[in-house]
Parts: sequence; C-alpha cells; structure tokens
Amino acid sequence: MGGQDNVETLVVLQPIAVDTASLDRTGMLVLANGKLVAILVRLEVPEHARCGAWFLEVGLGRLAGVRPPAFDTLEDATRWVRQHLKG
Amino acid sequence: MNFVPSPVPDPQAPGMLIRKLESIAPLSAGERQGIEGLPMRIHNLNARQDIVRDGDQPTHCCLILDGWACRYKLLSEGKRQILSFHIPGDIPDLQSLQIHRLDHNLATVTKVRVAFIPHESLGELTAKHPSLAAVFWRDTLIDAGIFRERLVSMGRRSAFEHIAHMFCELYLKMQAVGLAGNFRCSLPITQADMADALGLTPVHVNRVLKEMRDQTLITLRSSTLVIEAWDELLRVAEFDATYLQLRKRAAG
Repeated sequence: MGGQDNVETLVVLQPIAVDTASLDRTGMLVLANGKLVAILVRLEVPEHARCGAWFLEVGLGRLAGVRPPAFDTLEDATRWVRQHLKG
Repeated sequence: MNFVPSPVPDPQAPGMLIRKLESIAPLSAGERQGIEGLPMRIHNLNARQDIVRDGDQPTHCCLILDGWACRYKLLSEGKRQILSFHIPGDIPDLQSLQIHRLDHNLATVTKVRVAFIPHESLGELTAKHPSLAAVFWRDTLIDAGIFRERLVSMGRRSAFEHIAHMFCELYLKMQAVGLAGNFRCSLPITQADMADALGLTPVHVNRVLKEMRDQTLITLRSSTLVIEAWDELLRVAEFDATYLQLRKRAAG
C-alpha cells in the first residue's frame, strides 16, 4: 500500500453467498482499503474438522496462494488479513 | 532417531520384496534365493517418525514390511509437500544406492515395520545377478512414471480428478502385492496428509471426498477405502494403469 505504510489498513467485511460446490455457502467479501483481497467462507458441513470456523476460500493479490488454518472468529480473520497485508 | 529393535528376525521379510518385484517383473529361482539371502535388520517404528532425512547419507536401504510411509519436502513456515506414499514391498530410498546424499525426507505415516538392507549387500546381490539390477532399475523407472502422472495431476487435473486418480493408483499398487481385493483397501492417511500430497487444503479434500461419497463412487470409513464404482472412478480420473507396469493388471 504505497504511501500509506503508517496508516492501518481498513478491512471491511461484506456478507455474500458463495458457491463452493458444497453446503458451505455463507461467505464474506474481504475488502482492504476498498479493494477485494479475499473471500472467507464459514465451514458449515459437519464433516469438517473445524466446523463453524472461517476458511480463506480465495486470496487475491498478496493473499493469493496463502493457506492459513481456518479462523475461529471473523475478528481473528480480519486481524490476520491486516497483518498479512502490512509486511 | 529411536528405533526399537525387533526381538526376532522376520523370515517373511524377503518374501515381501520378492512379492513386490514379481509384480513388475518375473524372477528366476536363483534371483529369489539371492534376495532370501539378504541380511535384513528389522525395526518397528512409530507413526509420524522420520526414517531418513534430507541431507542424510544412508548406508542401507529401507524395505517397508508393514504400514505406510511417505517421501516429503519441508518448506518455510512449516509447509510440507508429500511427494509420494509408500506401502509394503516398496523400497522408497532405493536411489540412495547410487545417489549418496538424500534430497528429501522419508517418514512413517502409520506404525511401520521396516527392514534395513545394507547397501553393500544389495551391491553384491546385483553384481551377482545383473538381471536383478535391471529389475531394480525398472522399479525406479516406474517410480518416475508415477511422478509424471502426479505432475499431470498437480498441473492439469481438478481436485476431484486428482483424488480419483490417486485412489485408483493406490488400490492397484496395494492389490499388486496382495494387500487389497474386492475394491477394498486400507487407506491410513488423514485428510491433512492427502491435502499435503495433493497441494490442496484439508477443507477442499473434505469437500471432494463428500462429493465422491454423494455420487456413490467410494466410501471411506475407519481408514478403509471401498471403491463402489471402479469403472466410473477410472473414467472420472482418465486413469490408464500402463504407467504402473503391473504384470497382472485386472482390478478386482
């Protein structure tokens, strides 16, 4: 984020339904300073090891290909995104 | 590494190697005798334990007698790529006979019984029976063929096709050494292991497995894989078993 290094990244979540070809469909668009950087999906299928956690379904830009473990809460996910975009 | 020595030698250990080699090439009586004469040190290893590590210079090869092992590489931040799974009869570090420094790790997946065979003895055996050296060579060529298929899967197959392909391969490999039949075999790997082998996340593996169950292609329970629709699984995976070079190839 050129020129904004000393400003905390503003992370905003927007609810969205996501087609994951499974029953996991509750999602959040993750916007950082107004740009789409990731999509989180809540793990709802009981077979998941971490049912109820938020999974980074897709990462874009600097989050592309990053595979963190699922997050317990949206706050944890937001904190992770902010930290990951900082460095 | 803390190996627990087995109190008694295992007379069946050479048999496992013979069974494996005979699945890819015929052996003469003399060759079988030569293998039976190989000195083998038997060890019982715990699950999730390194057998040989990246950079090691082993003086023996490791024949798997029971259980599953895997080759893997470690990347930064704890990321792991599993390169291949290995079952009884396999010698996953056979290459250490010729390439002295290992360029990856070999670890147990489950509890494993292994036989360590000194390089020196394998060298003597192949000098005495050059045709056995050719069989070992053949085995490493098949190993390379398995890697080619894996490369195709990683690059061009969907997660669904890749997993289907891996199940077909593992079933046929197990069947070839008499450890599977009736479209049923043990699959003692976790979804996290599968994810590390396929370059996926455990979440994606979980979804694909559920989809496969929903389509009645497979059932997977208590570490047992049952292939419910073999022909359909072959079709989905575009699986052609030629690369395994098995002498008896019909599944069942």
